[in-house]
Amino acid sequence: MKINVQIPKGEQFRSFYMFFIIASMQLGVGLIGIPRIVFMEAGHDAWISILIAYLYIALLLFVMLYILRQYENADILGVQADLFGSFISKVLGTVYILYFIFYILSTLVTYIEIIMVFVLPDSNAFVLGCMLLIIAIYTVFGGLKAVVGVTFLFFMFSTWLFVLLIQPIRQMDFLNFLPVMDKEIIDILRGTIAASYTFTGFEILFFIYPFVANKEKIGKPVFLGLSYFTFVALLATNIAIGFLSPAQLERRIWAVLNLFKIQTSPIIERLDYVVIAEWMMVAMPKVILLMWCISYIAKRIYNLSRETSVYTSASILLILIPFFNEHFIIQRLIDNVSRVSYGIVYIYPFLLLPLVLLKKKTRKK
Amino acid sequence: MRPVKKRANQADLPLSMDEFENKLETEVLNSQDLSFTVYKQENKQVAVFYIPYLVDSTKIEQQVLNNLLDMQTECTADSILSEIPLSSGEQVSSIRTIRNKLTEGYVGLYVEQENQVIMYELGKTEKRALEKAETESVVVGPLIAFTESLESNLNIINWRMNTPDLAMEKVEVGKRNPKETRIIYLKSVANETDVNTMRQRLSDLEIDMVEDIHIIKQYILDSSTSIFAQFVSSELVDRSMYAIKSGKIIVMVEDSPFALIAPSTLFSFFESTEDRYFHWTLSMFVRFLRFLAAFVTLLLTPMYVVATTYHYELVPSQLLVSLGESRSVVPFPPLIEVFLIELVIELLREAGARLPTKVGQTIGIVGGVVVGTAAVQAGISSNILIILVTMSALASYATPSYVMGNTIRFVRFPLFFLAGFYGIIGLMFGICLLVIHLVRLESLGRPYLAPLYPLRLADFNKAFYRLPEQTKYKRFLSYRPKDKQLFNKERAAKRRDIDE
Repeated sequence: MKINVQIPKGEQFRSFYMFFIIASMQLGVGLIGIPRIVFMEAGHDAWISILIAYLYIALLLFVMLYILRQYENADILGVQADLFGSFISKVLGTVYILYFIFYILSTLVTYIEIIMVFVLPDSNAFVLGCMLLIIAIYTVFGGLKAVVGVTFLFFMFSTWLFVLLIQPIRQMDFLNFLPVMDKEIIDILRGTIAASYTFTGFEILFFIYPFVANKEKIGKPVFLGLSYFTFVALLATNIAIGFLSPAQLERRIWAVLNLFKIQTSPIIERLDYVVIAEWMMVAMPKVILLMWCISYIAKRIYNLSRETSVYTSASILLILIPFFNEHFIIQRLIDNVSRVSYGIVYIYPFLLLPLVLLKKKTRKK
Repeated sequence: MRPVKKRANQADLPLSMDEFENKLETEVLNSQDLSFTVYKQENKQVAVFYIPYLVDSTKIEQQVLNNLLDMQTECTADSILSEIPLSSGEQVSSIRTIRNKLTEGYVGLYVEQENQVIMYELGKTEKRALEKAETESVVVGPLIAFTESLESNLNIINWRMNTPDLAMEKVEVGKRNPKETRIIYLKSVANETDVNTMRQRLSDLEIDMVEDIHIIKQYILDSSTSIFAQFVSSELVDRSMYAIKSGKIIVMVEDSPFALIAPSTLFSFFESTEDRYFHWTLSMFVRFLRFLAAFVTLLLTPMYVVATTYHYELVPSQLLVSLGESRSVVPFPPLIEVFLIELVIELLREAGARLPTKVGQTIGIVGGVVVGTAAVQAGISSNILIILVTMSALASYATPSYVMGNTIRFVRFPLFFLAGFYGIIGLMFGICLLVIHLVRLESLGRPYLAPLYPLRLADFNKAFYRLPEQTKYKRFLSYRPKDKQLFNKERAAKRRDIDE
């Protein structure tokens, strides 16, 4: 397996779009549930947990970029091939594919569950899954240009949703935040760990890096993307804590949707229906980008065509989706995916760093 | 080897007058059309022959016959060439070439026993006068439209844009009946890759015959499966001039009054030439109105299906009362109700376009008013739906491009079927697919959604809003024109200061 990859100029994109890629990868259905998850551990100090998560991930992104910059134009598969050899790199690539498939699965089933609970109780999970996967497949077949374009446009077309949070902001009770640092440090750190599932997604940097045209400027958009998401997560959590009482918040799984519920307009009364439908544009870029990642890894390590890998993974997902029809099963899936993500996303780059440095030193000699 | 081919190499001439006439009549397809007259000029016989409906007979009389009969010297091919004051004299010696030239509108002169025939082009082609545009109506600005004659179209373009920079490349398209096609652009502005792509696509064409530019358009599209038009076609001269100026390419073909403008974006279908002539605030308002209209056309009736089939909660309670009242008598599910009424509107539109103008209006009024009212009274449709359908039909005609208006109206059908199928989620699914489709589209290899994606904020001033003309000192940068500037911003500002 080659360490560095040659990307034709037509497939490259400007680093400016990395902002939307990183932000869209982190936004998604996880955002809807984050206030309660963090609140359960860290109480009304949840915002501190989120800030800690932000700092940790910023450091992590720095490390990831540092690793990638040691090579000419490599992705993580190339780095692994350089460090561990071709075979282990293939094994690790397969682990990534499996992780991404379950990551997509957890996103899809959560969104489908929200649709079935709030909007269409009689709908069929299989049909909904079909619809969402058609969107992903149609985009991925358009190539990376289309994937980035759709990510960007969906981001643009769904950002207006945050305007709808004005009404709950006006009804916030700021006394809910006092006293600050009420909880133990260990509880706040637990909150950080609880938030980690929502924060994942930035690992796409490892795969999409070779496709960026002006790599020297990639740092800024990547960190701004992370900051944007952190800002949104802070906003959602803090409004939920201020707007809902602690007892209410503990019993609301999708607290963010409750915030949208009180907003009305003269033409449309229940805006939360529109919000859930519109959330398709928030949730889908993640699925699309991960699907592209799967096809990219499969092409790189098994030389599979895009059609084969995308159709195969889509059919696996379609078969699995109807089985995740109850909340606690879905919750277990999410727990397991996030447990895996601790290793793959949050710790692995730190293990990789000394090896890369060592390799660099031996190469110099 | 066929004998026919061999004969072409042999010398056909000289011949005696009778032999020549016989030979010509067997070669010319409609020999009864051939006018063949023999004149005696100083003991030599001169034949003048032509196909009457292809040539200008007054010109023959004035230019050829008068001079021929007045000739003082001996009549030979050379003397005729020097005596007749026409510049286009050609000497031809093969009967086949003579035949071809005759059908192109040439007049032939043959002096007995000579081995050359002299031919003059005195053809006439029927063409209509310049008129104002019918399909794209404008209120302000030049109204002149292209005609079916490529010659007069090129004439207009040259007259409107008289610069040595203007390139008018010639390409022949069509196998059986090759037609002259022109690629027109500004050499120092248009992107070379685009010109090459267009030239390549046109010269690669395998077509039997081209009736209109829209035939070519369908052959050179980037994606023939997409319902969205990828090139603007316009009969307004003004619009084509603006396109050329901004670095685009236009293609014109003989016998078609339309110019093809390439590359085009989705947003160029919402531009009207008037936008540049109005005050910028006005044109900005109108531009937003058009985008809003497209949005309304696309979403109004699907939202009705969504609200009445699945989610009554979406409708505010006061409105819900009147909606429920008017829908209570309707026996059909909303999807069928909407489908019926939409179908009626489409029928009215199609009938209105096909019928003669005088009848068309009557049918429109009868159909629109009578059917609409009767449908509500008979309880086939709710009156709110009639309002919504009429509004969205009206909005679809606000799009300056007729083709794009039709496309938007067509796209609505799958959208409300999806809405009827899975409510607001189905509708959103449709919208997502639409966005993805548009992202994937290209026009002449350039992104269709430019400048939205790839993002280029400088071009927003042209594509979405319109600030005063002074701020538009750059061309449309998404197409990477060779010359980026329209005028120098600093110098323009300085000039203005001095004046004040």
